[in-house]
Amino acid sequence: MDVNVPDARLMPDTLAPPAAFSGRGRRFAWTLLLLAVAFGAVPAAIVGTGSSYLAQIAITTMIFVILSASLNHVTGTAGLLSIGHAAFYGIGAYAAALLSTRLGLPFIVTLPAAGLIAALFGFLVALPTMRLVSIYFAVATLGIGEMIYVVLLNWVDVTRGPMGIRGIPPIELFGWQADTLLSRYLAVAVIAVACVWVLHRLTHSYYGNALRALREDDQCADSMGINVERLKIESFVVATFFAGIAGALLAHTSAYIAPDNFRFMESILILAMVVVGGLGSLPGAVVGALFMIVLPEALRDIGDYRMIAVGATMFLSILLLPKGMLAEGTALGFVRRSFSRGWATIAGGTPVGWK
Amino acid sequence: MSNTLLSIQGLTRRFGGLLAVSDVSATIAKGELVGLIGPNGAGKTTLFNLITGFTPPSDGTVTFDGQDVTGRKPWQIARMGMGRTFQNLRVFPNMTVFDNVSVGAVGAFGQSPWRALVNGGARSRAVSERSWEALERVGLTAQAGDIAANLSYGKRKYLEIARALATAPRLLILDEPAAGLNDTETAELADFIRRLHAGGVTVLLVEHDMGLVMGSCSRVIVLASGRKIADGTPEAVQRDPAVLEAYLGVEDDAA
Repeated sequence: MDVNVPDARLMPDTLAPPAAFSGRGRRFAWTLLLLAVAFGAVPAAIVGTGSSYLAQIAITTMIFVILSASLNHVTGTAGLLSIGHAAFYGIGAYAAALLSTRLGLPFIVTLPAAGLIAALFGFLVALPTMRLVSIYFAVATLGIGEMIYVVLLNWVDVTRGPMGIRGIPPIELFGWQADTLLSRYLAVAVIAVACVWVLHRLTHSYYGNALRALREDDQCADSMGINVERLKIESFVVATFFAGIAGALLAHTSAYIAPDNFRFMESILILAMVVVGGLGSLPGAVVGALFMIVLPEALRDIGDYRMIAVGATMFLSILLLPKGMLAEGTALGFVRRSFSRGWATIAGGTPVGWK
Repeated sequence: MSNTLLSIQGLTRRFGGLLAVSDVSATIAKGELVGLIGPNGAGKTTLFNLITGFTPPSDGTVTFDGQDVTGRKPWQIARMGMGRTFQNLRVFPNMTVFDNVSVGAVGAFGQSPWRALVNGGARSRAVSERSWEALERVGLTAQAGDIAANLSYGKRKYLEIARALATAPRLLILDEPAAGLNDTETAELADFIRRLHAGGVTVLLVEHDMGLVMGSCSRVIVLASGRKIADGTPEAVQRDPAVLEAYLGVEDDAA
């Protein structure tokens, strides 16, 4: 049932099949550069300065990279506006804190358990809300987020309410304890890089294209054979799983958590990272998290004015770059080219498809 | 009747008191190019939605390739091999031309997060090749890397058709493909559809443009006020008094 090319007038002069993609050299260049920053430059700076303040910022940045990248997965890529992401971050943090302080479970168990418990809640929330669209879904996630916050605050028997949970043991793997500044940072960085890598594989693929199709026009995706409801639930579950992982990292690196860490404002902060970085752009989500964590710290010298400066920067960046610092289209092309994820290059050197 | 690809029996849809489609039965055999026409409000779109699973019928059945698909979801029906385009252009505007088409191929091949994670491999290559092939068929390979929203109106039409072709449809349903095209473009489209059909694709053409349907289709089904009033060759249908009445009204002086 092969049809020949229909009409010579419709055919441009690129009948030849596209050239197979070869970007191996550049892929390694970018991968190495990123790994060198995360595992070379930053640790060197922490050791060199011996500053616990710097280490703390680096750890917080890594945790927010996970939060922002995971929210981008569901909100930027799949187009489901969630404004309750911090609640799943909280569920993960409390799960890890309670499992380790009450049951004495090791980090190797509490980390995946925190992700899975957050994902389970994500699944339960997703089931009834997936039929809702746009702003209605957003309001539902807002409500769920507030509900979870109120439970954390008032279920004193389990969560100790506003007093929070203290004495959460540090990250520990097979007898190796992350009790120095450097080792704490390194443990978090390894996990954050792994999380981003997983999200990278998921979004920068044909599976990712199906998710983007949901965002663009879910009815149309439906008639292309895409199981819309299942994909929406999957994307929400994946996002909440990684939020839970981020929560576990917070619990085990700060030793103390309280409900205030997971308020509505945190959800908005994560959303701002995604939007400033570029909705639907994974590199953008990473850059957005860096920007929103590092900028307020860098501006500490101007005291109380710094939050005004941060707000103004956000406002201006969205005004001047409405699609974000690294817009989705640019980011996808960059990933295809520089991480060699594209299928082929067409005439003009544009990479297309996914490997 | 193993040669029957699509068979609808007594298909009926009520919206409150309105009978949008009433007791319509028809069959499409493998390899046919069938037109479905009717004046505005005849129930063409409703019938289309009943066949593709977007609207559940109040009564009647839809059988596709020997299987009862009544009440199945659109994606299930699409995956069985029923591809479609939309009347009011619905490309994915912020995705590239190639990525648009790939969604059709992904729908046909199935998708899972595990596969994306562990290995794209052979499955991804199959999706890529299928998408490229579909773009070649409509002649949009040069635009493969462009954002779909930047294409001209006419090219977006072909993009939609390519996306539907990437699902490897055994039945391709085109919903008013000539809407918004000028005469030259319509003629080109007619030519394209005929070639597609000659290549072995079974096509159901839902149209307003009489010229396109009468010139291309071997059989024409006419709907009026939700009922099927004619079903036959273009020549027979054009002479059918019921069809003339539906399109032109009854001549008063005949009474």
